[in-house]
Amino acid sequence: MSKRPLEGIKVLDFTHVVAGPFATRVLGDLGADVVKINSESRALTSNMPEHPFYIMWNRNKRALALDMANDEARGLCRTLAEQADVVIDNFSVGVLDRWGVGYADVTQSNPGVIYVQMSGMGDTGPWANFVTYAPTIHAISGLTSLTGVPGREDIGIGYSYNDHQAGLHGAVAVLAALESRRQSNKGQRIDISQFEIGVNFAGPSLLDLFANGVAAKACGNKLPYDNAAPHGVYRCAPAAVTTTADERWIAIACMTDAHWRALKEAMGYPDWAEAEVYDGTAGRVANSNEIDQHISAWTATQNDYDVMTMCQAAGVPAGVVQNGADLVERDPELRRTDFCHRIKDAHPVVGQTYADRLPIHFEQTPCDDYRRVRGLGEDNAAVLSDWLGISLEEVGELTDREVLK
Amino acid sequence: MSESVGPLAGVRVVDLTDERAIYGAKLLADLGGDVVRVEPPGGDPLRERGPHTETAGPGASSLYYAFFASSRRSFQIDLQNKADLEQFWQLIDVADIVLYCRGRYGADKLDPKQLLAANENQVLIDCSSFGSGGAWQDYLAPDLIAGALAGQMATTGDVDTPPLKTFGELNFMISGAYVAIAALAGLYHGRESGEGQRVEVSVHECIASCIEQVFMFYWYSDTLMRPEGKVLARRGSTHWSDAFTVMNGEGGSIMITPTPDFDLQLAWLIEEDAQGDLLDPMYSEPENIRERIELTMQQLRAWVANKDVEALFFEAQSRHMPYGWVQPIERVGTNPQLQARDWFTEHSLGEFDIKSPGAPYRFSETPWQLKDHALAGADNEAILRDIGWGAGDE
Repeated sequence: MSKRPLEGIKVLDFTHVVAGPFATRVLGDLGADVVKINSESRALTSNMPEHPFYIMWNRNKRALALDMANDEARGLCRTLAEQADVVIDNFSVGVLDRWGVGYADVTQSNPGVIYVQMSGMGDTGPWANFVTYAPTIHAISGLTSLTGVPGREDIGIGYSYNDHQAGLHGAVAVLAALESRRQSNKGQRIDISQFEIGVNFAGPSLLDLFANGVAAKACGNKLPYDNAAPHGVYRCAPAAVTTTADERWIAIACMTDAHWRALKEAMGYPDWAEAEVYDGTAGRVANSNEIDQHISAWTATQNDYDVMTMCQAAGVPAGVVQNGADLVERDPELRRTDFCHRIKDAHPVVGQTYADRLPIHFEQTPCDDYRRVRGLGEDNAAVLSDWLGISLEEVGELTDREVLK
Repeated sequence: MSESVGPLAGVRVVDLTDERAIYGAKLLADLGGDVVRVEPPGGDPLRERGPHTETAGPGASSLYYAFFASSRRSFQIDLQNKADLEQFWQLIDVADIVLYCRGRYGADKLDPKQLLAANENQVLIDCSSFGSGGAWQDYLAPDLIAGALAGQMATTGDVDTPPLKTFGELNFMISGAYVAIAALAGLYHGRESGEGQRVEVSVHECIASCIEQVFMFYWYSDTLMRPEGKVLARRGSTHWSDAFTVMNGEGGSIMITPTPDFDLQLAWLIEEDAQGDLLDPMYSEPENIRERIELTMQQLRAWVANKDVEALFFEAQSRHMPYGWVQPIERVGTNPQLQARDWFTEHSLGEFDIKSPGAPYRFSETPWQLKDHALAGADNEAILRDIGWGAGDE
């Protein structure tokens, strides 16, 4: 069995919050040596290594503490950047330049470096200095107004979709640049605007706007452009619950007439479903509200997993609306691959920590090595030795001079 | 097709994906890979997906296809026909990467063991809804179902709406991105070691890996000490931290947050005498952070209600506060930041050029490039030449 795919690749990681750390989490899971820079002054709230939010995005990385207000620390950082295959950050434009590790500085001594800047808006343009988090990007890119029900633009996506996707696109960009470097022996700079990534997800709707002048609107659980009915979610038992977290729902999607016929079978051929007008997609779409009411009545007294099993056995696309507890406790597929698992090495402060696996299963280079999140500066000595050949004694001196904090 | 200048120039990819991974093939193609999409005699069924335009001419009306099948070459063959099947094998043989979705046209012809025995460097990306061997492996899961089962829908929607899917096929754009990562990581390893391999990507796991707070709430509920416990109910636009939410003002909606600097937000509220009780010293105590967030959001909601959201957005950003003006798609199409960065690009669709979405990333040396949109079978001749079809007969 071989090593993980990216073993040997060195990543100097200045990222924070979700988007950047998710990119480097993927690279770390793939075997890259990701060295995350943090400091006492920045390790606050969710950037504290003990915070659950930090724990979620920073496994499989080594931790180096550098006080970037200190000249010596900045010099050390420049030396580290000379050794890196990848330097990556998601600060606002200009922060790394001020620290002396901007692209222009690093590329002079390390022409093979792949230098990724994942800012909110990109490094140019009238909005370049705008401050963004994923909910900001969702709002300004159209994702919030498009995800919801007709007539409302204040719902949007219930989690930081764009942060995750920016991370994945950051990883794609690094991997593509590695392939390019193999051919050219040259690195390059990659400017990632999280806003542009978000707008990109509305691609077909933008084409519809430009080609036809049609502006897409939120359409609930219907498909925005294609005809399919029934296509929605339906309440299951129990009817009486305390909060929406306790509600149980089943999603059903009849994409074809065959699916509809299968659904009729699963429902036991009720009289209402035999109406000829429902035989074709157009008839079902035209009468989708009525069909939805009938299906809701059918599912209302049933267990959601039973409905799913029955539908899928008949050949109907159907799935329980699973929440976090379902995913961890009931989902047979996630259990089969041990997707949600305990990190073996206990965290010295938090104790037991957990990880969801990289959803990529390499047959020859499995990425099954999950190392816990490291404390602030926990790997100072190991990183400085491995990357720069600095001795333990010298590390001690740097620590005494408060460079590594 | 114009010559590629992207970072993946020279990388040969066969694309046998459906909705679940076509976005991954797009990422590789727009980055300069020579990506050949195999189509059945009747044409790729995804060419039927909307939205459509009638102005582009016959065979090119699907704007879904224009977006997701961009920069691809089209190879239309009948795999029931012996000669076509031979061509298919020859095409597969020269590929560095083969992307396939189980159940898609051509995928059933692949035997990974045989392929890797014949071409040990090859990277085979096997994308399926739930992976192999499990109880749900044959379950049918279009985007709605995939999002339901993987936890996306339980997070999205409001207390007065059902759980909601994300617009379009955003779930499959996650699995697509992972497919591209799998392919490129496999390629990197293959280049380093000479070892190819089959790689499985489960759409279900992909989506589940991108639902932010869901596992965090389950695993760390004791640390978070939230009244909701292990499962946070859907609650509209309100972020799990409670500190981001979309509010309605004059002329539209705006995403409001006092993060990352609550004091900066408080100073602004004080300027406008809208601080309410926030100056009570109790809200400065770290143990009262939840109460501070709650009251701040309450004050903000009242404050925003009579504000013009456009002016508020620009004022907030000038103060380095990450507010987000909720934009309908028509405004996104004329966004000044995108225009200043020349983000949109012209793209050939049938006989017409169309303004298209641009690059998700900018490479300084090997630029991303959207190449022409291929009609079904348009590249057969060139592809046959490239794979050396018939050369042995000459």
